[in-house]
Amino acid sequence: MSTPGAASLRSAFRSVIQIEAGCDFVSIRKASETVQSWLVEQGLAEREAASWELVLAEAGNNAVEHTSVEAKSLPVGIEVICSDRDVVVRVTDHGPGFDFPEEVELPDLDSDGGRGLFLIKSLTESCRYLRGPGGNVLVLERSRSERAPDDSLSVGLLRLRLAEAERALSDMTEELSSNYESLVALFRYSGELGASANLLDFSGRILSDLMTLTGADALIFRVAGSGQSVLQTFRSFPPDGFGGGPPISIADVAGSIEAHAASCCEDVWFGVERPLGARDPLAGAKGLVSGLCHPALVAGQLIGTVTLGYASEDPHLTAAKVNLLHTFVDFLGIQFVNARLQDERTRARVTRRELEIAANIQRSLLPSEARVPAPFTIAGTCRSALQVGGDLYDIVPAGPDGLMLVIADVMGKGVPAALLAAIIRTAVRSMPQLFRKPGVLLKTLNQILYEDFSGADMFATAKVAFLDFSNRSLTSASAGHCPLLVCATRGASAASSVEAGLPLGIEREVDYPEARWRLGDGGAVLIYTDGLTEARNPAGEMYGDVRLTHDFEEVLRATSTAGDASSELLRRLKAFCSDAPASDDQTLILLRHC
Amino acid sequence: MHQREDGTFEVGGLVELAALNAAQVRDEIKSRMGADCLALEMDLASVTFLDSSGLGTLISLHKALRTRGGEFRIVNAAPNVLQILELTRLHRVFQIITR
Repeated sequence: MSTPGAASLRSAFRSVIQIEAGCDFVSIRKASETVQSWLVEQGLAEREAASWELVLAEAGNNAVEHTSVEAKSLPVGIEVICSDRDVVVRVTDHGPGFDFPEEVELPDLDSDGGRGLFLIKSLTESCRYLRGPGGNVLVLERSRSERAPDDSLSVGLLRLRLAEAERALSDMTEELSSNYESLVALFRYSGELGASANLLDFSGRILSDLMTLTGADALIFRVAGSGQSVLQTFRSFPPDGFGGGPPISIADVAGSIEAHAASCCEDVWFGVERPLGARDPLAGAKGLVSGLCHPALVAGQLIGTVTLGYASEDPHLTAAKVNLLHTFVDFLGIQFVNARLQDERTRARVTRRELEIAANIQRSLLPSEARVPAPFTIAGTCRSALQVGGDLYDIVPAGPDGLMLVIADVMGKGVPAALLAAIIRTAVRSMPQLFRKPGVLLKTLNQILYEDFSGADMFATAKVAFLDFSNRSLTSASAGHCPLLVCATRGASAASSVEAGLPLGIEREVDYPEARWRLGDGGAVLIYTDGLTEARNPAGEMYGDVRLTHDFEEVLRATSTAGDASSELLRRLKAFCSDAPASDDQTLILLRHC
Repeated sequence: MHQREDGTFEVGGLVELAALNAAQVRDEIKSRMGADCLALEMDLASVTFLDSSGLGTLISLHKALRTRGGEFRIVNAAPNVLQILELTRLHRVFQIITR
């Protein structure tokens, strides 16, 4: 809009007024009024002129106040140069002058004086004070407002507000940078957490960093334990500083700052206004007089408390530092919860894996393929209601023409029952000399197992049967087990028999009577556990002895091998039960003659 | 300058409050205001010029009232006067009322 030449030309258009005022308040006041009217004549806005009036009065009064006796008679020179760009004011006095401060601060709000220089500085853009032997000159400048007559006082106010905004901005920057620091730190911690699963080390690093960043003299992290009723020390800094002592009861709200913070779930400050009680565990820490206790909460659940302690009365905990405390502790709390969940998951995984191993072992203990001389066939199966069960069956060859059949049901289910079932299997196999005398075998077995079983408050039922292929005789004995079913010849009705005998592990000395059978052509025997007969359908009906007997007879007629008969029997059982889950292990051995 | 019926001492009619008259105004008010007066109201409606000495007078009167447990109020200050109060942040100290 204008060339530099035109600008200098324009600035050449200027008017000047010079006044020699007496060195007293009255003359200065008159001079400032004169200048004000003159500036308005030069086209300055009323308010701009008024602000120069005030500046001039303040400057002149300063000259009057700081004059000497000799200079009292000398005038105060005032020169105002008004161009269309700016106003320059020179105030010359002949006194000794004074030290014009670089920065002019507002005095205390209560102070009577000291505002003159502040007003001069605030209402001008440039302010220079030149001291000389013959006199001092104060040069004040401010550009004219080009647009609509601006309120010069408002300009001062604007500057003030700008300064306030800058302060606010600087506070925000500090907070932002502390937020940024915490964010960076948290990312770093997250990375570290992946590398180390040790919560103690990890929390130690976070908390010692937090202590450094907040300038605390001590820090203590206690975790809520025993069903959220007590606080126990987890980490404390310095390590030997404080934090020992017994757990703090969270109910002791009056006696402990930490308990108070934990129970009301709010920050609790302590210091001059709220000193530590005599029996407060924090008071045990040497020289700790102030600080802040912050409860760590995750989803409303109390994890613990973190306390920053200071040896001085004023902890200088700025909002940014408190923010830092909150952020770090929240993060630590989340890691704590995560670690606990992780632990539980790991434990569950380990347990599941152990159960798988146990199930594998148990399966491997079952006879893989039992060989019997033709035309006999044999089948055995064991279905556990759980991954591992307490049922067991075993088929042990005994010489060229003997076969030992064992079936047992340990009270209870799961791993303990499976362990005892495995013991029974091993004990039976260790006594081949007694296979031909099942009653004696059970008696001996009971004696062997009695201590183990009664010690574990458990017992087992068992059925053992010895088949002599040379004469097709079957000798059985029962330790409280459900009956076996025998079809003596092809197409014959199934007969069952209950041999008396206490379960294993109830009494030390028990006699077990034996029963004898003879398998004719097409004869068959079924030994099973009560998981079969006690299986229920969705309506709650039991499969029962009658159905089993009936189905056993039918499947023998419908099939030709033990394997097929066993499969068909189990299919019928399954059909009866429909979708109802088996509540007990189901085990059977089926042996038949062609 | 007079005492109202409710006991408030009221000062008004000043054209300026500045180096020239600030000390005089302060002393006159202090001497004429009763010792038991617990409220002082400065009506600044007519004040067109206020400088730092004037501010000193206002602060001195404010302190005097506060010391005796009384109240100091500034009433009807013109915009330019108000702005000087704001500039020096004394608006945070004084009770300022516009009627």
